[in-house]
Parts: sequence; C-alpha cells; structure tokens
Amino acid sequence: MKLSKKVVLLGHFGVGKTSLFKRFIDNEFSEEYKVTLGVQIKKKVVILPDGRELSMIIWDAEGHSNSVEDTRKSYLLGSHAFIYVFDLTREDTYIHLNKDLTYLKENYKVPTKVLGNKLDLVNEKEMIAALKSKDIPFDCLTSAKTNKNVQQFFSDLSIEITT
Amino acid sequence: MTIQQIDHLHFNPQLQTLEISYDYEIIETTQTLFNWTKGTSIFDAHPFFQVLQGFEKNDPTIQDGLNFPCIHLTDLVTDRICDISITFNPSEIKIILFDYTLKYKELNQIAQQKNESILIARELELKNKYLLEKEEFKNSFIANINHEIRTPLTAIMGFVEILEKTHLTFEQEELARIIKRESRHLNALIDDMIDISKIESGTLRVVEERFAFLNLVDGFDESYSKIAEEKGLIFETNIEPGIQEYLIGDRTRTYQIINNILNNAFKFTEEGKITLSVTKNYQRTNKLSLNFKIEDTGLGILEEDIPHLFDRFTRFNLDKRITGTGLGLAIVKNLVDLLNGEIKVESKPDKGTTFNIKLPFKFEITKTTPKRKKKNYSLPESSNKYRILVVEDEEITQFLIMKILIATGNFFIDIAINGQDAITYIERRKYDLILMDLNISQLDGYQVTKMIRNNYGDKFISGLPIIGFSGKSDDATKDKCLKSGMDDFIAKPFEQEELLYKIIKQIAKKAAE
Repeated sequence: MKLSKKVVLLGHFGVGKTSLFKRFIDNEFSEEYKVTLGVQIKKKVVILPDGRELSMIIWDAEGHSNSVEDTRKSYLLGSHAFIYVFDLTREDTYIHLNKDLTYLKENYKVPTKVLGNKLDLVNEKEMIAALKSKDIPFDCLTSAKTNKNVQQFFSDLSIEITT
Repeated sequence: MTIQQIDHLHFNPQLQTLEISYDYEIIETTQTLFNWTKGTSIFDAHPFFQVLQGFEKNDPTIQDGLNFPCIHLTDLVTDRICDISITFNPSEIKIILFDYTLKYKELNQIAQQKNESILIARELELKNKYLLEKEEFKNSFIANINHEIRTPLTAIMGFVEILEKTHLTFEQEELARIIKRESRHLNALIDDMIDISKIESGTLRVVEERFAFLNLVDGFDESYSKIAEEKGLIFETNIEPGIQEYLIGDRTRTYQIINNILNNAFKFTEEGKITLSVTKNYQRTNKLSLNFKIEDTGLGILEEDIPHLFDRFTRFNLDKRITGTGLGLAIVKNLVDLLNGEIKVESKPDKGTTFNIKLPFKFEITKTTPKRKKKNYSLPESSNKYRILVVEDEEITQFLIMKILIATGNFFIDIAINGQDAITYIERRKYDLILMDLNISQLDGYQVTKMIRNNYGDKFISGLPIIGFSGKSDDATKDKCLKSGMDDFIAKPFEQEELLYKIIKQIAKKAAE
C-alpha cells in the first residue's frame, strides 16, 4: 500500500494557510485574499530520503475567528499531523496559541507544528526576540510569498511523520 | 434499496451516492455530480477519500457514520462544494455527496466581506499604532533636541548680557547686539518647533485662567512702541472702552497669536503705521467675543498667495534679510482654531495687510479685583552674603550663573554636579536657596526636592527655597516642579534680570516668614 499521511492546516483566518497550501502543492502565490469556506484538500507526493514515496494529503481548513476549538471536528479526524499557522504581523492570531496547542494536544494524539507566516513583512531577528519574550512557541517562520522556508518545512514534516 | 431508488427517494438531482468496498474500490455509483468509474480506486477520485484509511471496519467511533460538511471536491471538469455523509456498513462503505455549491458560494461572499473588513480594520489599527510610535519618537526627539539646544543658548544669551555690561567699542557693542538678536530669534524658532509638534500630536491643551487682559495689551504697546521707534514707524493700540480688565481664557496662547501677527507686521513694514485695535464683537452673560485687528502699511500679499498664507513652511517674501521658518502663521491658525476663534486676512501688495482675529473669552460678572502689579522684592539686610547652591552638571551654565550672581556682590555660590552631591552639600552647609536643574544624574531635580522636603526634621533644610530650571519651558514642566515641592521655576534660556528677580523674591519671602 502506498504511504499516505493526512496533514491539516489550522489557524485564524487570513494568516496565509491557503497561500502556504498553494505554495507547497502548486508553487503558486497570489496577493489576493480569498476566504476559505469549509476545507479544500490536495495531494502532493514527496520522495522521502530513503526513496519511499509519501502522499501528503493536505487539508486546508477554513480559518477560525477565536479558537481552534471552532474548527469542525470531522476535519481533524484521522490526521497524522497538524500545522498551526499564525500571522507574524497580527498578534491576535497567536495570542491564544498556547491555549489552542493545549486543546489539540489533549484531544488529538498527533504532532502539531507551529508556523509563523508572512516573514517577508517583518524583521526576522526582532520577530524571534518578540515571540520569545511573549513565550510564543514556534517551529518555523515562513513566507508563502517569497517561498522562504516553505519547502524545507514540509520536507522536514514529511520525514517526521513517517519515522 | 438500490442506489437509484435512494436518489429517486430524495428527488434531488444534486446528490450522488457511492458504494465502496473495504479495499476502497468503487462498487457502485451514480454519476450525477462526478463522472467516477466503477471498479477504480476511490482514492483516485479525490484525495479527500483517503480519510477512509484512518478507520478500521469495526471502529466503534464510526458506528454512527461520519459527516463532513463543506468539502471542496474537484476533478478535471467539475468543481463542487459538497456535504459528505459516510456510513460504514458490514459489507461496504456508503458515501452520499450532497451538492450545496450555490449555497456555500453565497456564504463564501458573506464570509469574504466579513473577514476582509476585520483584516482591513486590523491593518488600520496597525498603521495607526505605527504612526503613533513614530509620532512619539518624533516628540521625544524634539524634546531632547530642545534641551540640547537651549542649554548652549542659555550660555550664549547670558554671556552676551554680561558682555554688554563691560566696556565695549561701538563695533563690539553692535556685534554683541547682533548675537543677542539672533539668539533670541533662535530661541523663538525652538518655541515654534515645539508648538507645531504639540499641535500635530494633539497634545497642546487650552488653559482657562483668569488674566489681566488690559495689562496684556499694554505689554504689546510698550514692547512694540520701542521697536516702532527703532524702525521709524508709528505704532498705535486702540482698545474699545468697556472691555473688562480681567478675562478668562488662555493668556499664553492669546499672547502668542497677537504677538506673532504683530511680529510679522513689523517684519514686513518698512514705513508707515501699524495699528492694533481691540473691539467687542458681542457680550452675552459672562461670555465675550473680541476682535483683534492688526493693520500694517507693509509689503502686502499677492491675492493668489493668500489661500496658502497659513500653510506650514510658506514664505512669500524671498528677502533673506527677513528671517523666519514659515511656521508662525501656521501656528497662529492652529491656535485660533484650538481656541474656537476665527482669523481673516485682507491684503493688497504695497498697500498693506489687515488681520482680523475673533477670539472668545469669559469674564467674571461680579468679582472686581484690584490691579495686580509685579511686586518689587529686595534682599533682606544682612551683614553676610547669601549662599546659593547651584545644582547643575553643565559647566557652561554653572559658569554663567556664577558670573551673574557673583557680579551682584550679594551671593556666595557652591556648585553640585549631580543629585547625590546636592544632598551631601545641604547636609554639610546652610544655604539660603537652591537653583536646581531638573535634568541631572543620579537623582533628578524632582527627586532631590522631594528628599529635601520630606526627609529632614531640620526645618531649615526642609524649608529651603528651591527654584527649578530646565530647557523645557512648557506648563507641564513648571507644574511638575511646583508639585514636587519647588517654589518657582525658570526656563532656559533666562534673562539675568528674571533670574535675579526670582532668586531675590524667594529669599525675601523666606525671610518674611
């Protein structure tokens, strides 16, 4: 059987989940903001370092307004990983991050990677210092617009969920 | 029930039903929505269906089936948004797709508008925050640069005054006069800069205080008559009889407005006459509107330039001998607006200019107050000189104050260069007064004052007259000084006469106690 893993993109609306989704799957980017209603799902086959093929099924879920608990439960079923995306320029998208992470950890036994997006709009060093000072955990900072760290992030994730 | 029967039962062409084996092969399907083929893997139909892999046949969590709302399903030809219902039967998996594309697209538009408006609001909030931070930085920069400029300016103006009192040749006297005039001009420019910055940031506050209005107009008469005499001009002030001697309003800003316009009139008038006329527009109960008319026979302004007269950095006259930043009239306009007044200008080139300024005031109906005059103070008779502690870290200002005070022959001076030194000095020696710079190291002027007032049982120390001084000349700094326990405040650059007056006043008051 082919190796297949479901990964769900979560986070507030407008943080760039769809942009990351499109950048990773189709290597496309658009400045235009289009709301995602429900979920869109696409597959990308990734070659793992050991030569195996992994079908990453990425679920780009609609963004929530307040808490990740608002995300439809059925979207999260059968997931192998979550990617919690926040917008580096909007504090309200990561101010409750720790609470959301606790919720995911307690209810779903899968890893959650935290990703700060829109790196092209901030000073990276200052941003890292600011996030640390606010006790905001993150695994990677990306820019879907410039493609900075996007492919690497998904590549690392594919290895993590298959080992 | 067959698949066709189920479709028929629902009478809904927007529905597609599939039967899938537990090997994930399509056993049966209608092709109402998607043209998927029997016998092929459901995973090839759309990646959504790989969710099925996550569940075992007898998984108790899926006994009631699964419902997935609002799933975007696309294939090469079709793009639909469906609700998907999955039932796990013993022999097969039944999937029903409900096509709600139209409904969801409508909802999508609403969500788009809602989210966009939130994002725009957040963006504006962020921009606003950025602008406020920028504004704060600018204000703090201006406040700091103000202090840095005023300190050397105090020294320049002070030493020129001292220099003027020495034996000078005619040429030296003239040069000293120019230095003095230009220093005053520089000081006025700093004031303008501070004002415009306050106006921009909205921190300029209107003060309502009772003040001697006629005295204010007399002051203009006195000071501008001298300038008129020097320039060979005629200057007249006319006040309509019956205008109250004391008014309630913002004295400082009223002075600034009239002074600015008069100053301009004198700048641009080489011959003829300048008149300041004050008349009543109306008077109702305790309210009064006054009109200040300032007429000159100067250069005048071209008609096309008048609309831009109150713009910042506007100068129509390119004669470099006439100095200015072009901020003066912009400040006047802003101040008049702030006071809820009105300003109008009429002008003809080579004929002159007339400004009409309407300003509202209040007055006390019943209270009559005797005319207040600046009281004269003199040092109490003493066989000893008075000892003054100057707390100041700038060498040049220390030197200037020493020069001014020692020249009178009445004072001994000690210098403390920081707050801690000041405390050590007052514990060791008896002083008659402290001149306290506010911006000193270790302990600032406010902290030292509070310590003097609160930490000593010895009334001679705790009751020491203290005069604060600073490059900041605003009312807030003065208020802060008085609240911290100081007796008076003097702004840099100060005139010798003013400094001596304040020192003598405090020593005399203390002696009278």
